[in-house]
Amino acid sequence: MRVTILGSRPAPASLLQMFGRAMRGHAPAIPVERRQIPYWQERGWQLNGNIYDGNYQTPYVALPGWIEQERSGRANFFLHNPPDEIRRHSHWTCFQHRGNGWYLIHMGKEPKDVSSGIITIERLITEAYER
Amino acid sequence: MKRLPVVVAGTGQIQDVDIQPGTTAGDVLHQLNLQDYLLSKGPNEPFFAAAESIYDKVKDGEKIFASTKAEVGITVCA
Repeated sequence: MRVTILGSRPAPASLLQMFGRAMRGHAPAIPVERRQIPYWQERGWQLNGNIYDGNYQTPYVALPGWIEQERSGRANFFLHNPPDEIRRHSHWTCFQHRGNGWYLIHMGKEPKDVSSGIITIERLITEAYER
Repeated sequence: MKRLPVVVAGTGQIQDVDIQPGTTAGDVLHQLNLQDYLLSKGPNEPFFAAAESIYDKVKDGEKIFASTKAEVGITVCA
Protein backbone atom coordinates (compact mmCIF):
# COMPACT_ATOMS: atom_id res chain seq x y z
CA MET A 1 0.00 0.00 0.00
CA ARG A 2 1.35 3.37 -0.91
CA VAL A 3 1.66 6.04 1.74
CA THR A 4 1.66 9.68 0.95
CA ILE A 5 3.28 12.01 3.46
CA LEU A 6 1.18 15.11 3.70
CA GLY A 7 3.39 16.97 6.15
CA SER A 8 4.94 16.68 9.63
CA ARG A 9 4.52 18.36 13.01
CA PRO A 10 6.37 18.11 16.32
CA ALA A 11 5.25 15.38 18.69
CA PRO A 12 3.55 16.46 21.94
CA ALA A 13 5.90 17.07 24.86
CA SER A 14 4.39 14.20 26.86
CA LEU A 15 5.24 11.70 24.11
CA LEU A 16 8.77 13.05 23.72
CA GLN A 17 9.25 12.74 27.47
CA MET A 18 7.99 9.15 27.48
CA PHE A 19 10.25 8.07 24.59
CA GLY A 20 13.14 9.97 26.12
CA ARG A 21 12.75 8.00 29.33
CA ALA A 22 12.58 4.73 27.41
CA MET A 23 15.79 5.58 25.51
CA ARG A 24 17.66 6.53 28.67
CA GLY A 25 16.43 3.53 30.69
CA HIS A 26 15.18 3.62 34.28
CA ALA A 27 16.89 5.84 36.79
CA PRO A 28 18.32 3.90 39.74
CA ALA A 29 15.78 3.25 42.49
CA ILE A 30 15.98 5.55 45.47
CA PRO A 31 15.64 3.69 48.75
CA VAL A 32 13.03 5.38 50.93
CA GLU A 33 13.67 5.04 54.63
CA ARG A 34 10.80 3.90 56.78
CA ARG A 35 9.74 6.24 59.52
CA GLN A 36 10.29 4.59 62.85
CA ILE A 37 8.01 6.55 65.10
CA PRO A 38 5.89 5.46 68.05
CA TYR A 39 2.25 4.73 67.41
CA TRP A 40 1.04 7.76 69.37
CA GLN A 41 3.04 10.04 67.10
CA GLU A 42 1.94 8.23 63.96
CA ARG A 43 -1.67 8.86 65.02
CA GLY A 44 -1.09 12.59 65.42
CA TRP A 45 -0.94 12.86 69.21
CA GLN A 46 1.06 15.78 70.62
CA LEU A 47 3.29 15.58 73.67
CA ASN A 48 3.64 18.58 75.96
CA GLY A 49 5.65 17.82 79.08
CA ASN A 50 4.04 14.68 80.43
CA ILE A 51 0.68 15.22 78.72
CA TYR A 52 -0.32 13.65 75.42
CA ASP A 53 -3.17 15.28 73.49
CA GLY A 54 -4.95 13.70 70.57
CA ASN A 55 -7.78 11.58 69.30
CA TYR A 56 -8.56 7.91 69.65
CA GLN A 57 -9.17 7.03 66.02
CA THR A 58 -11.37 4.24 64.70
CA PRO A 59 -13.19 3.67 61.40
CA TYR A 60 -16.39 4.76 63.17
CA VAL A 61 -15.42 7.79 65.17
CA ALA A 62 -12.50 9.85 66.42
CA LEU A 63 -12.83 10.82 70.07
CA PRO A 64 -10.73 13.45 71.84
CA GLY A 65 -8.51 12.30 74.63
CA TRP A 66 -5.54 13.12 76.73
CA ILE A 67 -3.07 11.02 78.60
CA GLU A 68 -1.11 11.90 81.68
CA GLN A 69 2.17 10.05 82.11
CA GLU A 70 3.27 9.86 85.71
CA ARG A 71 6.94 9.87 86.71
CA SER A 72 6.69 6.18 87.50
CA GLY A 73 5.82 5.56 83.85
CA ARG A 74 2.22 4.75 84.67
CA ALA A 75 -0.27 6.46 82.36
CA ASN A 76 -3.80 7.73 82.98
CA PHE A 77 -6.04 7.70 79.93
CA PHE A 78 -8.90 10.17 79.53
CA LEU A 79 -11.69 10.32 76.97
CA HIS A 80 -14.07 13.18 76.33
CA ASN A 81 -17.82 12.67 76.08
CA PRO A 82 -18.01 8.94 75.40
CA PRO A 83 -20.85 8.30 72.95
CA ASP A 84 -23.86 6.06 73.70
CA GLU A 85 -22.20 3.09 72.02
CA ILE A 86 -19.55 3.10 74.75
CA ARG A 87 -22.08 3.81 77.49
CA ARG A 88 -23.93 0.65 76.46
CA HIS A 89 -20.72 -1.42 76.43
CA SER A 90 -20.10 -3.91 79.24
CA HIS A 91 -16.93 -1.96 80.19
CA TRP A 92 -18.80 1.30 80.77
CA THR A 93 -18.33 0.82 84.53
CA CYS A 94 -14.60 1.24 83.92
CA PHE A 95 -15.13 4.87 82.89
CA GLN A 96 -15.01 7.28 85.82
CA HIS A 97 -16.40 10.79 85.35
CA ARG A 98 -13.85 13.44 86.29
CA GLY A 99 -15.84 16.56 85.35
CA ASN A 100 -16.41 18.66 82.23
CA GLY A 101 -17.27 15.59 80.18
CA TRP A 102 -13.89 13.95 80.78
CA TYR A 103 -13.73 10.32 81.79
CA LEU A 104 -10.78 8.42 83.24
CA ILE A 105 -10.51 4.94 81.76
CA HIS A 106 -9.53 2.38 84.33
CA MET A 107 -7.11 -0.22 83.09
CA GLY A 108 -7.43 -3.66 84.62
CA LYS A 109 -4.13 -4.62 83.08
CA GLU A 110 -2.02 -1.57 82.45
CA PRO A 111 -0.13 -1.12 79.21
CA LYS A 112 3.63 -0.74 79.40
CA ASP A 113 3.60 2.27 77.11
CA VAL A 114 1.23 4.99 75.98
CA SER A 115 0.97 3.62 72.44
CA SER A 116 -0.25 0.24 73.64
CA GLY A 117 -2.86 2.01 75.76
CA ILE A 118 -4.12 4.03 72.80
CA ILE A 119 -4.39 0.85 70.72
CA THR A 120 -6.33 -0.85 73.53
CA ILE A 121 -8.80 2.02 73.84
CA GLU A 122 -9.22 2.31 70.08
CA ARG A 123 -9.96 -1.41 69.98
CA LEU A 124 -12.55 -1.00 72.74
CA ILE A 125 -14.25 1.88 70.89
CA THR A 126 -14.35 -0.16 67.66
CA GLU A 127 -15.79 -3.11 69.54
CA ALA A 128 -18.49 -0.91 71.09
CA TYR A 129 -19.55 0.31 67.65
CA GLU A 130 -19.58 -3.18 66.16
CA ARG A 131 -21.96 -4.64 68.76
CA MET B 1 7.92 -17.16 52.53
CA LYS B 2 6.57 -13.73 53.48
CA ARG B 3 8.41 -10.76 54.90
CA LEU B 4 6.63 -8.74 57.57
CA PRO B 5 7.66 -5.45 59.08
CA VAL B 6 6.73 -5.69 62.76
CA VAL B 7 6.25 -2.27 64.36
CA VAL B 8 6.84 -2.14 68.09
CA ALA B 9 4.09 0.32 69.04
CA GLY B 10 5.83 1.95 71.98
CA THR B 11 9.03 2.89 70.19
CA GLY B 12 8.05 2.76 66.52
CA GLN B 13 11.02 0.48 65.93
CA ILE B 14 10.47 -1.73 62.90
CA GLN B 15 11.85 -5.27 62.74
CA ASP B 16 11.54 -7.34 59.61
CA VAL B 17 10.77 -11.01 59.98
CA ASP B 18 10.48 -13.75 57.39
CA ILE B 19 7.72 -16.22 58.10
CA GLN B 20 6.86 -19.56 56.59
CA PRO B 21 3.54 -21.43 56.49
CA GLY B 22 2.59 -22.46 60.00
CA THR B 23 4.47 -19.66 61.75
CA THR B 24 2.48 -18.58 64.80
CA ALA B 25 2.19 -15.17 66.42
CA GLY B 26 4.00 -16.65 69.41
CA ASP B 27 6.91 -17.74 67.17
CA VAL B 28 7.29 -14.19 65.88
CA LEU B 29 7.13 -12.62 69.34
CA HIS B 30 9.58 -15.15 70.71
CA GLN B 31 11.97 -14.53 67.81
CA LEU B 32 11.83 -10.79 68.44
CA ASN B 33 12.15 -11.28 72.21
CA LEU B 34 8.82 -9.54 72.80
CA GLN B 35 7.40 -11.95 75.35
CA ASP B 36 4.87 -9.64 76.97
CA TYR B 37 3.47 -8.37 73.69
CA LEU B 38 0.59 -9.18 71.38
CA LEU B 39 0.50 -9.00 67.60
CA SER B 40 -2.27 -7.47 65.54
CA LYS B 41 -2.79 -5.93 62.13
CA GLY B 42 -3.80 -2.70 63.86
CA PRO B 43 -6.13 -1.26 66.48
CA ASN B 44 -9.20 -2.19 64.51
CA GLU B 45 -8.26 -5.83 64.18
CA PRO B 46 -8.27 -8.45 66.93
CA PHE B 47 -5.04 -9.69 68.48
CA PHE B 48 -3.57 -12.88 67.11
CA ALA B 49 -3.56 -15.69 69.66
CA ALA B 50 -0.08 -16.93 70.49
CA ALA B 51 -0.74 -20.33 68.95
CA GLU B 52 -2.48 -18.93 65.88
CA SER B 53 -0.81 -19.42 62.52
CA ILE B 54 -0.52 -16.00 60.92
CA TYR B 55 0.93 -16.91 57.52
CA ASP B 56 -2.42 -17.07 55.74
CA LYS B 57 -3.77 -14.01 57.55
CA VAL B 58 -1.16 -11.51 56.46
CA LYS B 59 0.08 -10.32 53.11
CA ASP B 60 3.72 -10.18 52.15
CA GLY B 61 5.05 -6.82 53.31
CA GLU B 62 2.01 -5.99 55.43
CA LYS B 63 2.79 -3.96 58.52
CA ILE B 64 1.79 -5.59 61.80
CA PHE B 65 1.91 -4.14 65.29
CA ALA B 66 3.33 -5.47 68.51
CA SER B 67 1.82 -3.82 71.56
CA THR B 68 1.93 -4.70 75.22
CA LYS B 69 -0.96 -6.50 76.82
CA ALA B 70 -3.52 -4.12 78.30
CA GLU B 71 -7.13 -4.37 79.24
CA VAL B 72 -9.79 -1.84 80.10
CA GLY B 73 -11.54 -2.95 83.22
CA ILE B 74 -11.81 -3.26 86.94
CA THR B 75 -12.49 -6.39 88.92
CA VAL B 76 -16.23 -6.18 88.46
CA CYS B 77 -16.14 -5.69 84.70
CA ALA B 78 -13.19 -7.76 83.60
